[in-house]
Amino acid sequence: MLEQIKQWIEHRRGGKIGSHDPGNLPNPKTPGEQLLTDCRLIVLDLETTGLNAAKDEVIAIGAVAIRGGVIHLGDQFDLILRRPELDIRETVLIHGIGPEALTQGHEIEDALLYLLEWMNGDPILAYHSAFDQKFLEKTLKAQLGYSQPHTWMDVADLMPAFFPNTKTGGKGLDNWADYFGLEVGERHHAASDALATAELTLIALNKARAEGVKTLKGLYDKLHYHRRLQNMHRY
Amino acid sequence: MASANQENDRPQNIRAIMTFLREHAPFSSMDDSHLAHFAENASIQFYADGDVVLSPDHDVVKRFYVVKQGRIRGERHNDKEDRTETTFEISQGECFPLAAMIGERPTRTLHRASGDTFCLSIGQTAFVNLFSESEPFRDFCLRGVSSLLDQVNRRIQSSAMASMGSSTSLDTPLERYALRNPIVCSPDLPVRKAVARMHENNVGSIIITDENRIPTGIFTLRDLRTMIAEGTGPLDTPIQQVMTKNPCCLPSHADAFEAAMLMAEHHFAHLCVIDDDHKLIGVVSERDLFSLQRVDLVNLARTIGTATHLRTLVSLRTDVSRLVDAMLAHGADSGQVVKIITTLNDVTVRRVLELNIKKNDPGIPFTWLTFGSEGRQEQTLLTDQDNGILFQTPEGMTEEQVREKLLPFARKVNDELAECGFTLCKGNIMASNPKLCLSDKEWDDWFIRFIDASTPQNLVYSSIFLDMRAIYGPTEPLDALLDKVLTRIRKNALFQKMLAGNAFQRKPPLTMFRNFRYISEGNKHSLDLKRQGLAPFVEAVRVFALANGVETANTLERMDELAKKGVFDPKDANAWKEGYSLIQAIRMRAHQEMLARGEELTNYIDPDDLNPLDRRILRESFRQAQRLQQKLEVTYQL
Repeated sequence: MLEQIKQWIEHRRGGKIGSHDPGNLPNPKTPGEQLLTDCRLIVLDLETTGLNAAKDEVIAIGAVAIRGGVIHLGDQFDLILRRPELDIRETVLIHGIGPEALTQGHEIEDALLYLLEWMNGDPILAYHSAFDQKFLEKTLKAQLGYSQPHTWMDVADLMPAFFPNTKTGGKGLDNWADYFGLEVGERHHAASDALATAELTLIALNKARAEGVKTLKGLYDKLHYHRRLQNMHRY
Repeated sequence: MASANQENDRPQNIRAIMTFLREHAPFSSMDDSHLAHFAENASIQFYADGDVVLSPDHDVVKRFYVVKQGRIRGERHNDKEDRTETTFEISQGECFPLAAMIGERPTRTLHRASGDTFCLSIGQTAFVNLFSESEPFRDFCLRGVSSLLDQVNRRIQSSAMASMGSSTSLDTPLERYALRNPIVCSPDLPVRKAVARMHENNVGSIIITDENRIPTGIFTLRDLRTMIAEGTGPLDTPIQQVMTKNPCCLPSHADAFEAAMLMAEHHFAHLCVIDDDHKLIGVVSERDLFSLQRVDLVNLARTIGTATHLRTLVSLRTDVSRLVDAMLAHGADSGQVVKIITTLNDVTVRRVLELNIKKNDPGIPFTWLTFGSEGRQEQTLLTDQDNGILFQTPEGMTEEQVREKLLPFARKVNDELAECGFTLCKGNIMASNPKLCLSDKEWDDWFIRFIDASTPQNLVYSSIFLDMRAIYGPTEPLDALLDKVLTRIRKNALFQKMLAGNAFQRKPPLTMFRNFRYISEGNKHSLDLKRQGLAPFVEAVRVFALANGVETANTLERMDELAKKGVFDPKDANAWKEGYSLIQAIRMRAHQEMLARGEELTNYIDPDDLNPLDRRILRESFRQAQRLQQKLEVTYQL
């Protein structure tokens, strides 16, 4: 199995793979003056056995990378974790990963180590990111004892921040995807949802550039400003 | 199984991109491994409405793009009018920039997103890999949309083959037909023995050859029937006295279409196939050509050509339509089908004239002229009359006196043709119009005025009178007239320029914001394939043809001639011929469908009804018309 992963990783990274060194993993980057036209962003989506972070588990990780405002399909992460002991009867209908696929998944520790390496500490974007962040941090801590905080940004905030007053008919990924006419490969497949989220991110980044937002920090600030505005409206 | 596993091994997003690509040409004909290579090396970019994707100001093009969603438009600046024009539009599944990518140069056209647009793109390395590994991809890159036209033709033919179980097409050379070993005899054999030989071999014809095996005559069962019915002679008559002399011959490399046309024109059911030394190598019968296809062209032509009553001719028109249906179903190309329709129409017109002469001979020899689409041999089922008469004034008569005799005759013919389905010309371009029943001298004067004193109004007639042909009576007077007309036009640069300017008015229906420009009046979302689609080609080609002394009136043949004379680049000429033929094919298919539904024929279609490949090719055809017009623009500095 390990051999397979090595091959798989080699295939994707075009060469060199050492043994993972849990003590020497990339450090998460903080949003600073990195230019949006240069930096790498991770867009991620998880499939889980359920919605409760306290008892449910991650079963699939899909992620794509945006570099310089472009999605590179050669730079992506699409993995089903090997968790045969998990009870997935409740959610199997939504994401379509059956027990068979799960047993063929990858050894979880290796997969997570590779994920951390692949992410390279870059900021992570996700749709309704609080959910993915909770699950991923919990899993990383439990499996690897890893607890360094990545920078997370929520694409569900990013979209209304750059396209305020847009009538999407709802706040979900589907609403925004429909609004921009995106064709989503296979909904509720981690990698498909990650790609759809990444495409929305490209739209937002294009708008950001038009509005003069140039750096990662600028993007991060814009997001927080939007959040505060939302919270103020709530009260 | 192996491939299924491989498919599952690929990440979901790679599979999704492959699925998307598979829906569009040329990717639809590429191997999965090549599609996977494309997908794994692809990037996804987003462009908001109006964003520049590629610009002539950028460096050498290093990426190859496919529109994933949205649309890209090409912009060119028109310096003369100081405004920006859209030169093309690229929509979902289409690729760009081909020429710049292969030529390793910057693009010459500004590519701009039209609406929010996602593109997939691959870099040079992946492009070169695919180019060298995948034949369909390479073919597409080198030949562009022409390679797609082949696909359409293949599809039409394969569906015809599937339905008829026949693999012969009209392009098949005669030598590929299973030529029956011809039954031959010498000229002095008595008819009785010749017929016995035919009977033994169970054939309907016998070829009479000389000592060098060169065919000198043919004798068929039909001839035997006539001989007995009319009592022409006893059965021991030497066959050379009753045979049809100088039988129709074609070399073995001629194709079935030529054979069919020759048969239709002369109403023969048999043709001799000869080698380069004129020696007989076989016989092809109408049945050989069409037995599998049930296309009874020759018999129909014969029935029309020998009909004895107008009402027979009228009833035969439905057979013409059925025949066209069958031809289209068999993958005959549109150029062939319009010629067949024209041939059958010619036969009908001739027969109407013959029947009228038999009844009421005006007593003055004349040449019956046809103009416009019939003159160009480009008629479809929807056709109206454009005809005229050319006569030589007999001594002792004035032209007015001749007209007094010819006009009532012409009126009757026009009316009877109308009964046969050739609609009366609304503009009165008909032989019964005194202005179009003229002597050679009068026609010449008419053309002098037309060419030397041209006004924008009479240029409207150029599409009619500059495409003419004789279909009945002596052709020499018309040849002499045409010769003078062509010389005059060749020398008159101003007239050429006016013609060019007129042709330039008809813009192919491509536009900025929609894929197609629909006509403004009448049905919403409809395109006039004749006026908007074909006319830009016909008109532009006519200008070049007349300016360069090309005598034929047929648009495709004119383009061939112009390429031969070096006026058109052969590659351009081919692309334009393909574009033109395709619009014609779509138009004819639409006519057949309208007939099948019992609707009145029109030239309007709704592009939304076409399948995506046809739609794309139609748009590409319009783009070719635009290129042809650009040549006109440059040549005549419009």
